[in-house]
Amino acid sequence: MGPAVTALVRWWFEPVALGRIAVLRAVAYAFIWVDVLLTTSWVADHADVPGALYQPLAVGRVLPLPTPTAGFVRGIMVALLATAVVAATNRAPRLLGWTVALLYLEWMVIGQSYGKVDHDRFAFLVLLFAVATVGRAGWGDRSRSEAAGWAVKVTMVAVVATYFLSVFAKARYGDGLANWLDSATISWAVVRRGTFLGEPLLQHPWTLQASQYGVVTLEVLAPLLLVLRGRARGLMLALYASFHLVTFTTIGIIFLPHLVAMLVFLPLERLPVTTGRQPSRTTLRGSPHWVASPPTSGDRS
Amino acid sequence: MLGARGKVVRLGVTGLVFGLLLAGTVVGSDDHFPFGPFSMYSSAHDPNAGVVSNTVEAVLDDGQVVAVSDGDTGMRRAEVEGQLPRFIEDPQMLEQLAVAHERRRPDAPRYAVVRVVRRSYQLRDGRPVGAVTEDIVAEWARP
Repeated sequence: MGPAVTALVRWWFEPVALGRIAVLRAVAYAFIWVDVLLTTSWVADHADVPGALYQPLAVGRVLPLPTPTAGFVRGIMVALLATAVVAATNRAPRLLGWTVALLYLEWMVIGQSYGKVDHDRFAFLVLLFAVATVGRAGWGDRSRSEAAGWAVKVTMVAVVATYFLSVFAKARYGDGLANWLDSATISWAVVRRGTFLGEPLLQHPWTLQASQYGVVTLEVLAPLLLVLRGRARGLMLALYASFHLVTFTTIGIIFLPHLVAMLVFLPLERLPVTTGRQPSRTTLRGSPHWVASPPTSGDRS
Repeated sequence: MLGARGKVVRLGVTGLVFGLLLAGTVVGSDDHFPFGPFSMYSSAHDPNAGVVSNTVEAVLDDGQVVAVSDGDTGMRRAEVEGQLPRFIEDPQMLEQLAVAHERRRPDAPRYAVVRVVRRSYQLRDGRPVGAVTEDIVAEWARP
C-alpha cells in the first residue's frame, strides 16, 4: 500500500472511545420512539390507506417487500418500538442493532412509498446500521476502538454528504446553481407553508433571496466538519443547528433524524456516568465543557 | 483493534454505500431511496411566476364542504401532490381517500365527493400579489 492509501485507511479507522457508541445507541434508539410516535407519526397513519395508493420504492420492488396492510404496519411498529427499547440498554448490541436498523428501514419504506420521499434521514439510517457493527460498549468507556471509529466516521461522512450533495441536486434540478440561487424557491416555500414568523419575510423578499446564498454557503462548507477540530468544529455545528432552527421557525420543517445523527461529532464519551455499572477508566470532574474542547485533549482528571 | 478482514469488509461497504449515493445524486431519483438525490427545495422557482398549492376537500351527504386534513385520510398533502398525475388521469382513485377516511374515522360522516383543489398565487419579485385563484383538478363522486 502506498502512503496515501495507508493514510486514507487510517483516517477511516481513527479510533474513537467506545463510550461514544454507547451514548449514540441510547439516543438513537430512544429517538425512534419520538420519531414513530410523535414527529413522524404519519407513517403509522398509512395503516388505513388502501394498498392501491402504495407506490413501492425501488428497494420495495427489488426485495420485494409486501404491500402494507393495517396489520402489517402495526406489527412492524410494535416490533420496532420493542426492539429499540431493549437495544437502548446496550444488550446484544449486534443482534438487536441489526434488527432495529432493518425494521427502521422497512418503516421508512412504509413511510416514503405513498408519493413523497423525505431527505432528512440518510445519515440516521447510516448511524443505525453503523452502531450495529460495533460490539459491546459501555457508558463512559474511554477505551478507543477502530470499530467504533469507523462507525463514527461513516456517520460523519453521511451527515456531510447530506449537505454537500444537496448542492449538486440544486444544480441538477434548478437548471444550474446560479439559476437556483437567483430563483424564488424559499419565497415559494414560505407561501406554501410559512409560519407566523416566516410569512412577514415575504414582504421583504431580499431576506429570503439572501438566505438562499447562505444555505448554499453552509452546504458547500460542510466537508470542513471532517477537518476542523475542537472549538472551530463546535462553532460550525452550532451554525448548522441554528440553520435548522430557523428553517423550523419559518417554514415548520426540521431534519430531526439528521440532527440526531449529527451528535456523532460530539465527544459524547465524556458525558458523566451516573450508574457506575459500566467500566470507566477515567473519573470526570468539573463541568463537561464537551462541545468546546478538542476531542484529543486527553484526560482532565 | 480490527483485523484485516474486518477492515476490508468495512471499506467495501463504505465504497458501496457512498458509491450508490453518488450515483443516486447524479442519475437517480426519489425512487432510489435512501440513495436518491438530496433534492429538498432543489427546483428553481421563478420570482415572477405562480405558486401552486393543492388541497383536498370533501362534500358530505348534507352538502357541507369540509377541508380534508392529513390525519383524516392518512395521506399527507405532499403525498397527494406526489400522486396527483394519477388522480388527474383516473379521478376514481380519489375513492381510495374516502375509503381511508372511513377506516380512520368510522364515526364521522362519510364523504360523498372528494376533490383536489388547486390554489394559485402570483409572485412578483418574490412577493405574492393579486388574488388567489382556485380550480378543481380532480373529482370523484360516490355513485
